[in-house]
Amino acid sequence: MCLKKTNTVKEGKANRYMKKRGMGEAKQVGTVNRNNASKQKMGGRKVESIKQNPFVKKVGFNRIILCIVLILMYGLFCALTSGAFAGMTRIMSALNYAYFLGFLSLGVTFVIATGGIDFSIGPVMFCCALIAGFSLVTYGVPMPAAVIISIVVGLVFGIFNGYLVAYWNVPSFITSMASMNIAKGVASVFTRTQSVSWPQANAEGGWYRQLVKMGDIPTGLIILLIVAVICAILLNKTKMGRYILSLGSNKEAVRLSGVNVKKWEMSAYVICGLLVGIAAIFYVAAYTTVQPGYGDTYNNEAIAGCVMGGTSMAGGLASISGTIIGVFIIALLQEGILALGFTKDVQLIITGIIVIVAVFADVVARRRKN
Amino acid sequence: MGEVILTMKGIDKSFPGVHALDHVDLEERKGEVHALMGENGAGKSTLMKVLTGIYKKDSGTITYEGKEVEFHNTREAQDAGVVIVHQELNMLGHLTVAQNIFIGREFKKGIRIDDKKMNEEARKLFDRMNIDIDPRETMSNLTVGKQQMCEIAKAISHDAKVIIFDEPSAALTEAEIAELFKIIRDLREQGLGIIYISHRMDEIKVITDRVTVMRDGTYVGTLVTEDSTKDDIINMMVGRVIYEDPKTENMTPKDAPVVLKVEHLNAGKMVQDVSFELHKGEILGFSGLMGAGRTETARALFGADPIDSGDIYINGKKVTIKSPQDAVRNGIGYLSEDRKRFGIVVQKTVAENTTMATLDAYANGPFINKKKEKEVAEKYVESLATKTPSVDQLVVNLSGGNQQKVVIAKWLTRNSDILIFDEPTRGIDVGAKNEIYKLMNQLAAEGKAIIMISSEMTEILRMSDRIIVMCEGKKTGELDISEATQENIMNMATREIN
Amino acid sequence: MANKTVTKTAGTNKSFIDRMGGQKFIVLLIVIALFIFFCAMSPGFRKYTTVVSILDYSYYITLMAIGVAFPLMTAGVDLSIGTGLVCYSLIGGYLIVHQGWPTGAGMVVSILLGVLFGILNGCLVAIMELPPFLATLCTCMITRGVGSVVVGGFGIPWPTAAAPGGWFRSIFKIQVNGMNIPIGFLWIILIVIIMTFVLNHTKMGRYTLAIGSNKEATRLSGVNVRFYHIMAYVICGFFAGLASISYSAIFATVQPGSGAGFELEAIGGAIIGGVSMTGGVGSITGTLAGVFVICLLKTGLPFIGLTANWQQIITGLVLIVAVLFDILKRKKEGK
Repeated sequence: MCLKKTNTVKEGKANRYMKKRGMGEAKQVGTVNRNNASKQKMGGRKVESIKQNPFVKKVGFNRIILCIVLILMYGLFCALTSGAFAGMTRIMSALNYAYFLGFLSLGVTFVIATGGIDFSIGPVMFCCALIAGFSLVTYGVPMPAAVIISIVVGLVFGIFNGYLVAYWNVPSFITSMASMNIAKGVASVFTRTQSVSWPQANAEGGWYRQLVKMGDIPTGLIILLIVAVICAILLNKTKMGRYILSLGSNKEAVRLSGVNVKKWEMSAYVICGLLVGIAAIFYVAAYTTVQPGYGDTYNNEAIAGCVMGGTSMAGGLASISGTIIGVFIIALLQEGILALGFTKDVQLIITGIIVIVAVFADVVARRRKN
Repeated sequence: MGEVILTMKGIDKSFPGVHALDHVDLEERKGEVHALMGENGAGKSTLMKVLTGIYKKDSGTITYEGKEVEFHNTREAQDAGVVIVHQELNMLGHLTVAQNIFIGREFKKGIRIDDKKMNEEARKLFDRMNIDIDPRETMSNLTVGKQQMCEIAKAISHDAKVIIFDEPSAALTEAEIAELFKIIRDLREQGLGIIYISHRMDEIKVITDRVTVMRDGTYVGTLVTEDSTKDDIINMMVGRVIYEDPKTENMTPKDAPVVLKVEHLNAGKMVQDVSFELHKGEILGFSGLMGAGRTETARALFGADPIDSGDIYINGKKVTIKSPQDAVRNGIGYLSEDRKRFGIVVQKTVAENTTMATLDAYANGPFINKKKEKEVAEKYVESLATKTPSVDQLVVNLSGGNQQKVVIAKWLTRNSDILIFDEPTRGIDVGAKNEIYKLMNQLAAEGKAIIMISSEMTEILRMSDRIIVMCEGKKTGELDISEATQENIMNMATREIN
Repeated sequence: MANKTVTKTAGTNKSFIDRMGGQKFIVLLIVIALFIFFCAMSPGFRKYTTVVSILDYSYYITLMAIGVAFPLMTAGVDLSIGTGLVCYSLIGGYLIVHQGWPTGAGMVVSILLGVLFGILNGCLVAIMELPPFLATLCTCMITRGVGSVVVGGFGIPWPTAAAPGGWFRSIFKIQVNGMNIPIGFLWIILIVIIMTFVLNHTKMGRYTLAIGSNKEATRLSGVNVRFYHIMAYVICGFFAGLASISYSAIFATVQPGSGAGFELEAIGGAIIGGVSMTGGVGSITGTLAGVFVICLLKTGLPFIGLTANWQQIITGLVLIVAVLFDILKRKKEGK
């Protein structure tokens, strides 16, 4: 009996430590026969010792790998374009892409942490940008009001999704599908199917562009990182974050602890909506023009950034820093693909495959753990 | 009894952190009903799952009809004639009875499934078993008992040589059990080997020829039923004195106030007109068969399931409980029978689970005070003697008993006065069980009021001050511990049926 | 298990609606009501050409819906059918128009591609155990990308009815004395009959429902769950392939990058028709009726002055309502 216990504890330690890394290579005493197990240990020793390193432990093995991937990718693109990629313009262009995608990805991280999904974020972002932009250009509302309109539209969709999922138990992918169509439809109806161009930097009300770039300072990056830090605090240090993660892991147990799970589950979608509204501003600040009926290609990229960063599709496990690095990888990938002369369509295929691989890795990790 | 048909020797099986089977032996003869007994978690079901290929054994041999075999899945086992009737019903609720019975081996006419023939064959099976079920009925429309009969019919229809019954009677009424036994005797006559897993001593004496006892994943011994007494078997099963130590008198102070009064509670089919009182410092045992409506009563009381009607008074004041939030606010804590699903958030730490119900008290505004959280978690780890390397340990890595302590800590942090323990020791090993018992007694002594739902008679008799017995959603009896015996409880637990 | 037990004997206390086929019957009434409503509201709607155009729209949605009903009945979903349809149609058309393949060969390629992506989806879901909506969301994006990459971003005009190789268009619509006869619905009826048989009277259908009802129990009964789970997605892919043919036959040009949102109409139709989101329940005839609700809205709304964009919004809301209806129904049954 006593022996058994110490075993459990030892294994527990191992499990926990690996889990933190999101790698979850829990060794399976018993299911694998003993020889195999020891072989695994031998092979894994090197990796183990790296993982044991205090620095690695602190930053997280997964994130270090992601950073290495990011750097390698950059190197690869530079090599493939024989250096043409190395310039500042490419980096700035990739960053432009990373800003709005980053907000989308941060938003969807909260939703995925609850064990749900939201793939209406792309079209909803366009809907925000279109409605706010149309109000700005056609109805002449002032710029600050337009920004607020954008955020409010995002919030409305977040509330709509969250309410249906949390209070009515509608599967989140159904609400995503519905609000994706509703967002496209509403935007088209509102703008009468016309594309909308937000003001240029030197035009009246063009100050919003400084959110992305103020002279040579990439303000967008700074804002994105600040928002990411806020998100990380929300997720890890507050009640809301604790409940969101816990209910993603085991909703019923949290409910039976007397917690209002519906409220907290919905709040994740509301946060997502809010961030989508913000993403819309950064999208137009970088790209000026939005067209109704589009935007769904960004869903997958945002989700890709999120799951690559170690957020589990099963819920309960999320990493904001991972998401941000994941977003940078996607943004760099998209810039690299364009630089290599491929179309956006190749990007769609690659992101699709990335998500499949990332989610499969997560599935395998969880299967091993159980 | 005929020749040996099946031998399992030295079966060993481990799961991460649990040595589930430690060199277990079992021998089955033709025309024999062989009981496999042991407490919850003794490894009976695991052994059977190894036999039928659901789990892969680590070592040991299985000899069936004179040849060493290893089934890789249930299909292979079925084809060889080893069939299991599962404890949890494995039914496809949306399909019909006949479709369920013949799933995986439908009769066919060309590419068409011959439903007509399946219905006829199913009817023949039921005729042979002497039971009346319409094969065309949708499965989910049947009672649990009838569903169980369908499972048995399915097993028989496999041309089985060995049938394993995994606690088949747990959800059956007495009449249905009688029917079941008749079927089993018929099968024995036909020379089948029957392995019968059960907790119920009385059944064992009635129906079985031999008994193999397991304890904590080990093989204890095999007895011939006729030549052994109930006590022999019980001694082998428990191997410890603790079970021989029932409470004899009500420990609640005479003048203890009523903290919880439930009047005419109705919630769905499983809770019908339940009324009872709970005193301060009392342990109120809820006994009954599986599916008697005890858990449902607790869940309704806790607001986890909706209440149809009835009044709840706490400390004399009428309260409305519509959600667990209401219940928690009123000082009720609920420890679920299924910890992993309803009790703990396994992927979170001990500290996080401890404060799950009380996070407001450990937060400054929206921010969690992790230091304070850690302190309280450590306090309870110490006072409950929870075995964990630290409060940052993920709960998933703790043993069952220690997980239970974390759940207890959750409610103690909340300072709940009424604690509902639903099967508090299910899946917890014997040593840890004792600790949980000690803890419960201690809590009662400190003035907490405890409702304990348990399916283990020994647990009920050992812990309760008073006992409420339920059957088919109704309260069928209330006993003081001084007048309670296994027999009168069991009578009450099956009263409704007669 | 216990709470699932409902003591209800078959045949008794069934309402009139239940005897008439339950939800299917209600949906049929809705279809008729919608038709009468649009007829009453708009004289333009009361024309033969409108009926033809409703049917034109209905073919590819019906085919997709019948296909997607299978993954839905296993408690999964396939979101890739919409972009998939366009992808298969683009590649098939590309081979015909730009590579000079015979029309028949192009069509076979379209269908085979559907089957291929069906197998891919099935493997992702049944073997790799990815969440169905996520796996198929990825294949949705992949098919979209593949289609565009193959054709190089340009629209593909399948041969017109008069052109050589345009015979395939008369599978769905023939012209007699200058009048369009929509014979496609005959094929649809045939397919509905076949698939109803497959669903109710073959192993394939039985196991699809069984997997949706209780996958583990089905596995323990010795059914090759993986195979049949994959097959549900293969059927779905096959029908997406068929749908791509009907789409190419009805519309003049296929545009890369389109197709997103088609799946919503198909899934919506299936769910309205009584296919349960949680698996285990569904019917092909119900799905057909559900699709016609969507198609009537799609063709009818412009007649009462609402643009196609409104139709998008309304389809989204209809989906939510259908799912809520399904949830409420299950809640009632659970009691």
